[in-house]
Amino acid sequence: MKFLFGFLLIVAVLLALPAVDFVFAAGDEPGKYLDRRVVIWNLFYKMMTVAFTVGSVVSGTIIWQVWRFRESHPKAKPTSFEGTDW
Amino acid sequence: MSGHSNWPEWIYVTVVIALMAWVGAEAWEAERLVEHVPEDAKTIIVTGQQWFWTFEHEDGTKEIGELHVEVGKAYKFEVVSKDVNHSFNIHDYVVLMDAIPGRVNTVWFAPDKVGEHDIQCREYCGLIHYNMRGKLYVEEPSH
Repeated sequence: MKFLFGFLLIVAVLLALPAVDFVFAAGDEPGKYLDRRVVIWNLFYKMMTVAFTVGSVVSGTIIWQVWRFRESHPKAKPTSFEGTDW
Repeated sequence: MSGHSNWPEWIYVTVVIALMAWVGAEAWEAERLVEHVPEDAKTIIVTGQQWFWTFEHEDGTKEIGELHVEVGKAYKFEVVSKDVNHSFNIHDYVVLMDAIPGRVNTVWFAPDKVGEHDIQCREYCGLIHYNMRGKLYVEEPSH
């Protein structure tokens, strides 16, 4: 059942991608004059903003986890898997 | 374990999918904009060969190693190659398109200022690749 769900999900994505591509594709109407430098560099800055934001959230989470769940943390609690007598 | 919740995972997955969708949409939109050729764009056939560029305008005039265009007009380059893979690049205008034997690749631009700019090959194409250069002259309209 799980396999079928995953398989259908992949098929759905494979079908959805070309459909989205088609929606965003250039139409028949003529294009406007634009400065491709502006469009391309704008995209670059947006992507860099996303990359650095995601990067700092992910690395911040990892740093916090390492700090919070170290053994020497005042609120550290042994899990049932460790079985040590604290 | 008791009290365990999947919510953080689901929120994380949703945020990641949303971000990827947004990034994809932005990239698609930029691609759509820069690939959308204006109706009145003039066609210039750009031929790359070892180791120089040839430009053929709509009226049949040809230029070798230099290209003269007029400011404020749109130009569509049809980039072809006679021998090996090259890549047509006007760095200052972020124009970059591969020249592949047997294919016609298109890219367009509209220069907005009078000036001179370098044209170069950006795909290693042999011994003199480093010197496969040209000059773009953006000039005032003649009429």
